Formats: sequence, C-alpha cells, structure tokens
Amino acid sequence: MAVPLGAFVAVSAVLFFIGTAGVLVRRNAVVILMSVELMLNATNLALVAFSRRYASIDERGSVFVIFIFVVAAAEVAVGLAIVLSAYRNKPTVDVDELRQMRG
Amino acid sequence: MGFLEGAFFAVLTIGIIGAGAGVVLANRITTSALLMAFTFLNVAGMFLLLGAETVAMFQVLIYVGAITVLILYGVMFTPQVPRPYGLFFQTQKFWAALFVVPIAIFVALVAFAFRDTAAVGAKGGDLLPLATSVFRDFAFPFEVASVLLLAAMVGAIVLVKRDDE
Amino acid sequence: MPVGPFGIDPVIWAPLRLVIALLLVVGLVFNGALAQIYLERKIQAIIQDRLGPLHTGPWGLLQTFADAIKLLGKEDIRARLTDRWFFLAAPSIVFSPMLASYVVIPFAPGIVGADLNVGLLYLTTLGSMTVLGIVIAGWASNNKYSLIGGLRSAGQLISYEVPQILSLVTVVLVVGTLSMVGIADSQPGLRMNFLVLPLAFVTYFIAGLAETNRAPFDLPEAESELVAGFLTEYSGMRWAIFFLAEYGEVTVVSSIVTTLWFGAWHGPFVEVFPLLGVLWFTLKTYFFVLVFMWIRATLPRLRIDQLMSLCWKVLIPLTLTNLLVTAVLLLVFPTTLVPVAIANWLLLGAFIVALPYFQRRRLVALRERLRTAAA
Repeated sequence: MAVPLGAFVAVSAVLFFIGTAGVLVRRNAVVILMSVELMLNATNLALVAFSRRYASIDERGSVFVIFIFVVAAAEVAVGLAIVLSAYRNKPTVDVDELRQMRG
Repeated sequence: MGFLEGAFFAVLTIGIIGAGAGVVLANRITTSALLMAFTFLNVAGMFLLLGAETVAMFQVLIYVGAITVLILYGVMFTPQVPRPYGLFFQTQKFWAALFVVPIAIFVALVAFAFRDTAAVGAKGGDLLPLATSVFRDFAFPFEVASVLLLAAMVGAIVLVKRDDE
Repeated sequence: MPVGPFGIDPVIWAPLRLVIALLLVVGLVFNGALAQIYLERKIQAIIQDRLGPLHTGPWGLLQTFADAIKLLGKEDIRARLTDRWFFLAAPSIVFSPMLASYVVIPFAPGIVGADLNVGLLYLTTLGSMTVLGIVIAGWASNNKYSLIGGLRSAGQLISYEVPQILSLVTVVLVVGTLSMVGIADSQPGLRMNFLVLPLAFVTYFIAGLAETNRAPFDLPEAESELVAGFLTEYSGMRWAIFFLAEYGEVTVVSSIVTTLWFGAWHGPFVEVFPLLGVLWFTLKTYFFVLVFMWIRATLPRLRIDQLMSLCWKVLIPLTLTNLLVTAVLLLVFPTTLVPVAIANWLLLGAFIVALPYFQRRRLVALRERLRTAAA
C-alpha cells in the first residue's frame, strides 16, 4: 500500500511546528536561523508532496520549491552576516541581550 | 514493494522528527548544526520517495553542501561561554509550548484529510517537466532569483567588511 | 515471465546487481588506491630525477602493502580536547560520498550500477558533501592550524564547484541528457566530445584539480603548510581513510572526464566484446590519473589568494562565456555542432595565449611598483 498524501503533509506540519517552537523558544541567534531553515524545509516537503501526488500541471509545486531554495540560501547568507556584525559590536549572539539598537 | 515504501517512509519520518527536535533541544550548538544537516538529508530521502529526484539532488546540493557549511562558519565564528541548560530558552518558553503544541497536533490530524488524486507513481521522473516549467513559464522569476542571489552576495560581503579597511 | 540476464529471475537480479556493483566498487577503490599510491611515488621520483621505492619487492611494488600494514598497526591517538564524535565521524563523511559516486559511472555498455536519470547532478551533489566532512575535521581537531586549514579548504572547494558545474552544464547542453549512460552513448567511435568542447574539458580539469585538493591547489593539506592543515591531528588508519578518499576522488574526476569528453568505454572491437569496454575505460581513466600526478610533480603550489582569484576572476568568467557562446550557437545552428566546435577551439586558444600575456603584464607592473617603493 503506498503512503497516502496526508502522511507527507502531516510530517511536514510537525516539522514546521518544531521549527516554529525553535524560533520562539531558543535564545541563540544561530539556532533561530537553523529553526527557520527547518520551517522552510517543511514547506518544501509539503509543496513537493502536493505537486507529485495531486493532479498538477507541469510540476509547479516543485518549481516553487526551487525558488524557495534560492531564497533560503540568500536568507541564511545575509542573516549570518548580520549576526556576525552584531557579534563584532558586542560579543554575544543571545537575542535577549541584543535588544538595543545603539551601542 | 508497497511494504518497502511504507518502511522507508517510517524510517525517514523518525529521522526527520527526531533530528528536528534535536536541533531545537540540543545542548551544544554544533550538535544542533549537524542534526540539522541530518534533517536535510532525510527530507531529501522523502523527496526521492515521492519520485522528485531532481529536487532531492538540489536539496542535498544546496542545503547540506552550502547552507550547513554557512551555519557551521557562523557557529565557529561566534563562540559563546557555555551556560546552564535552562538559560538556553527564552523566558516565555512555557507560553510558546502552550501555543505551539496543540496547534501542531490539530494541524497534523487535519493533514490526513488530504487525498491523492493522481495515480501514485505514475508520472515518471520530474526532470523534464521541472526544466520546461522553470525555463519557459517561469523564466522571469528565474532571472529575478539570480538578481536576488547577486544582491544577497554583495550585501553579505558588505555587511561583514570591517570598518577600518 | 521475463527472464533476466544469465537466466536469473529479474526481481532478484536488480538488488543482486547492485550488491555485485558495490563489491566491485569497493574492490576497485581500494586496489585502485594501492596502485595509485605506488604510481604516484614512482612517477614523482622519476620526474624529480630520483628512484622512488626500490627495496620492498621487485621495483618496490610491495611498498604500498608495507605502508598499509604500518598504518594499520599504528596507535589510534586522539587528542583529549577534541570533540569525540565529530573527530571520529569526519573521515567517514569525507569517504562515503566518494564511494557512492561510483554507482553511476558506466564502465562498459550495460555495466553500470544504476542508470540514474540525473546521473551527472548526482555526482555534483556528492562532490559538495565532501566539504562538510572537511569543515568538521578541521573544527573537531581543536587545533588552530587545523581549523584554518579546514576553513580554507572548504572555501576552495565551494569556490571551485562553480566552474566545475558550469563546464558540466556546457557538455549537457550539447549532449542533451544528464544521464551518464546517455552521455557515453552519444559519442560513438571517434566522435568524442573533446573535439567539440575542449575548453570545457580544460576548465573542468583545472576545477577538478582544485576540488580534489591536488597540487597545485593542495595548500590546505600540504606537509609544509599549516603543519598539514586539517589532517594534522589524524594519524594511522584515520589519515589513511582521508588519503583513500582523495585518491578515490581523483579516480572519480578522471572517470567523469573520460565519460564526458572521451567516450567512456568506446574503443576498437567493443561492439564485438562488450566487456572490452572495461579495459578501454580503465586505460583512459588511468591516463588522466597519470596526468594528475604529472601535474603534481611539476607545478609549484598556489597561495590561497592566488587560488581564489584564479577561480573567481579567471575561471568563472571563462566558463560563463563558454556557456553563453555554446548556448547561442546551438540556438542559431540547431542541426550542426561545427560552429560550437570552432568557437570552443578559438576560445581555448585565446585562453592559452591570454593567460601568460596578462600574467606577464601584471608581473611587470608589480616589479615597477616594488622598485619605486624600494627607491
């Protein structure tokens, strides 16, 4: 018996919420970035599952996934650049301590 | 053969959920980073299970090959004093858990309502339709994505430059 | 009821074929590495006007076995402050993708582990997973020199992936398929892709040299730099695994070059005896492995900034131009490959002439600047 589509979407949902919990709960900025990547992966999984299992025209879900890859890569690069700049200012990546915009 | 597919799906699911939870809960940040890479590999396995081989290859190439290395660089260049485990989490961790867990359970249960409408596994590989779509119907977003990457590259370099150079 | 080859039931044949392929590949990798270690020492010795291993066995043939026995017997030292699991896992992360690459390489018509639709993309993906292992190795050694060596190596590998992939894409444009078996089949007889796309071959070869951390790009692991870079803390069998991975990777790159540009298993009499294709494939691949070793013995090492500027300022514009020209010419002349071939040979000639010319101009300018600064 093949795996039903709902199972893939359920896994994607659980992974998405694990990522959300990571963003809300952890204090380290790099771990927050990692959790955002988990959320993006969950989205990719759901999109590809729908694209392959639903009657879709021309794999459009997978096309969207390609663009999400691009955006995720760009976002990690710029996000880490920001974290490193902030680290240079004040040697911490704790988001509770990086609250002020000056100094 | 259907049993094999179900077995692979179960193994990959355990991998994804376990490694994902590990990323959020791990003690050391390098363990988090490597568990994240493991999650990416498992998601690529899921893509292969769905028959989307090109997307699976891109997933490994981009996520495991590049984004994980970037995050490891970020981890290495921001060393922190080790602190007790309780201080890893925000002060609002209780409310966050309360908010996230019930919604997660609800959404996961709702997800099972989706049904396949296409015959499973009847569509062949995804290389040709993907390539056709990207370069014909979505050629303009493709070009915009290249410009986005260029802007991100330049922006990241400018942000990290030291001011005294 | 379909009957598989040798009369075996096809349901058993598919996994059995994979198991046979895996065993053959493991045998190939280890024996190939043994042969290459010996060849490397002998060839380097001859080029450097000395003799190389002589005493163990006739012409020093058993030297590699002696080395292997020594490495197996060495004490497994691990510095106390290294990160235990990552230190132990790093050699495996570097070794596994190389081993997995052999699955898609066509050794003879019909002898291939798995004819993936996206074979070339699969090989590229595995090449990029090696970077992760090297970063982990450098970091887990808890040693500043290892860390710097590992990060430099990772930067080098990631940078050189771009010209590598662009060269491969140029070939795919001409051939029309990503499957390795399809690419091998598209070059019957003497109609090799090398005659059509020589510039892509040259750029891929240079990028492949850098991807495998081979001279002249072996700054991260050379013995005289950074105390051997990310390999510093690894001794005995763990170091041997890194080295096996490097020689295996050299063989993989040579196999890719053979398949894409030199017709894989094509050669005289291969239609009559299909298994003869294995011989031609091996000969062609080892020819390129010998070229790798020849280059190692001949050229001096590049500094990290020279290496990076070669990639970003020379190879990437060159491969992008090559891709653009090939694509435009294929669009304008869809039926014939002759314009593409002419354009490629012209670009290759321009590259060979232009590179020393610009280097000489830069050297003259540098000398002028140094002379005026000293005066």
